[in-house]
Amino acid sequence: MVGQKSFGENIGVVVNSALLSVVYFAGVGVTSIVAKIGGKKFLEKDLDESGKSYWSDLSLGKKQIREYYRQF
Amino acid sequence: MGSKYVLGVSCFYHDASAALLKDEVVVAAAEEERFTRKKHDASFPVNAIKYCLGSQSININDVDYIGFYEKPFLKFERILYQHIDSFPKSYKTFVSALPSWFSEKLRVVKMFKKKLNCKKPILFIEHHLAHAASTFLVSPFKEAAILTVDGVGEWTTTAYGFGKENEINLIKEIKFPHSLGLLYSTITAYLGFSVNNSEYKVMGLSPYGNMDRKTNPYYDKLKQVIDIKQDGSYRLDMSYFVYHYKDRMPSQKLCNLLGGPVEKRGVDMTQRHKDIAAALQMITEEVITKILKHIHSETKMDDLVIAGGVALNSVYNGKILRNTPFEKIWIQPNASDGGTSIGVASYIYHTLLRHKRSYKFDNAYLGPSFSTDEVKSFLDKNSIRYDTFKDEKDLIEKTSSLLFEDKVIGWFQKGMEWGPRALGARSILSNPLNPKMQEILNAKVKHREKFRPFAPVVCAEDAKVYFDCDDPLPEPVDYMLMVYSIKEKWRNKIPSVTHVDGSGRLQTIRRNQNRQYYDLIKAFGKKSGIPILINTSFNIRGEPIVCTPYDAYKCMMGTGIDYLVIDKFIVKRDNNLQHAWDSEKYTND
Ligand SMILES: [Fe+2]
Repeated sequence: MVGQKSFGENIGVVVNSALLSVVYFAGVGVTSIVAKIGGKKFLEKDLDESGKSYWSDLSLGKKQIREYYRQF
Repeated sequence: MGSKYVLGVSCFYHDASAALLKDEVVVAAAEEERFTRKKHDASFPVNAIKYCLGSQSININDVDYIGFYEKPFLKFERILYQHIDSFPKSYKTFVSALPSWFSEKLRVVKMFKKKLNCKKPILFIEHHLAHAASTFLVSPFKEAAILTVDGVGEWTTTAYGFGKENEINLIKEIKFPHSLGLLYSTITAYLGFSVNNSEYKVMGLSPYGNMDRKTNPYYDKLKQVIDIKQDGSYRLDMSYFVYHYKDRMPSQKLCNLLGGPVEKRGVDMTQRHKDIAAALQMITEEVITKILKHIHSETKMDDLVIAGGVALNSVYNGKILRNTPFEKIWIQPNASDGGTSIGVASYIYHTLLRHKRSYKFDNAYLGPSFSTDEVKSFLDKNSIRYDTFKDEKDLIEKTSSLLFEDKVIGWFQKGMEWGPRALGARSILSNPLNPKMQEILNAKVKHREKFRPFAPVVCAEDAKVYFDCDDPLPEPVDYMLMVYSIKEKWRNKIPSVTHVDGSGRLQTIRRNQNRQYYDLIKAFGKKSGIPILINTSFNIRGEPIVCTPYDAYKCMMGTGIDYLVIDKFIVKRDNNLQHAWDSEKYTND
């Protein structure tokens, strides 16, 4: 039984990895390439040596309670 | 109308925890690691939640509101953006890390159902708001400036704003991948220490390095990886890092800059390592000082609260009031992610439900406690040989004598501490006057790196005699969150708690917080002439601080602790050698 279970788990890992690889290259990869062509940045990494500040506006304060039931 | 119960939960990153509010009062709080005995356990804190509910004899359905310490979908968005940004370099981490998002991190509501049979809706509070609430809403201040700095939440890594009465506004932020917390962790990893665990060791190492900007060569080098503006805002040059797409942190370029590869775990620290730690500490202090001066000029508030992992940098915390215009400071003892469970619960109660604030956090003994009967029955059932103190006076007298005779005491009283430090409920105590005590403690129990001295505890009103501390004494000193200089003339009298730069990470204790502990220190002072003890956490190396009488007894018998003073009982190790074992054979630190 133990052998069967770990065999099942191993198969699960292989299937998961295969699926994730497909998602990675088809989903993440294509999005990334399209984004790079379109000049869209997903992480803001550039330095602005001559700029005065890196602070960006945030308005994190009280909202309606129902807003907090959302996970985003 | 009955009381309202609000439960706050944090998990899935590191230091999972739960905290329960009965109306506005934090009545119970604990980290999951103490129950599962896995250090920094991040798993869903089912044991901590059950403890919190049990402490009030209620069940999950009696809880009015439940809050979670972040918005998981926003965090997941950030993770996806990281992968899109770094495609195809992030392939490995994508395949290895993504499954946990689908099995648990995005299934918080399901987790409550599965583990607790709880069908209540969950409130999700933004992570840095949870950090801000965890300090401001339980602070003594009606109004205060707020700074939160951690590794990363959803997107935010640094934020500031202000709190007024029961509301919080965070107005500015710095976003991932730029993160002072992650810079600290990167260097921690580079020096061969464990990330999200040993940052405090790097802080402890820094005074051994060259703390002069002009002559420490690594200061200028490390300045190349961060662009700091006059207002304290900053960005990292990401070519020196790989944490945004790999499960490692420093890049090859950073290794080249610092002149060598990432160190192996446990390697002896050379002057070069010490100088790197010193440079990192100087840069961290420089950034935070600039940020705080900026916040002060923006908010015009004189009181300050801080939270997030960087708020555990006690070396810097001790300098804040001297380096900035702020007049008062408050930090909650569990300043890092573990503490956000108190934050979300307080945010729901005060801000969302609009209850006025009158509670102020001043009791860190929020974890499990055990009655005299429970302790006695544990000792009896396990055929442990022990003696019973006649009364409290007898306990204080005998224990202080043993300490004066250089015995190492496991001290187990009251509820377990909230936060990473032992504060006299699950502590190992010993005599700081003995110049050999650091060696003795290391040989018997702690096996720490030689560069780390032990911490002193002193009664609050005596602190000024021995330490150059701020006046009035800030309350975070009660939670070992501020390092101060030991006055010159005492340094060679208490060598095992004096750091190389003459500082000490002291705990101050007030009698109303923990009477027996306070009286013990005073009684020791009468015998030794100096009312200070060594206080170090009660744990086996690599394990969390002990929680139960069983954990405490097991720890004593696996190490060289001489006596366990637990409730009104005293257990001598040598009388119970049938249970002796060697914890060092099993340690994993
Ligand atoms: Fe955090």
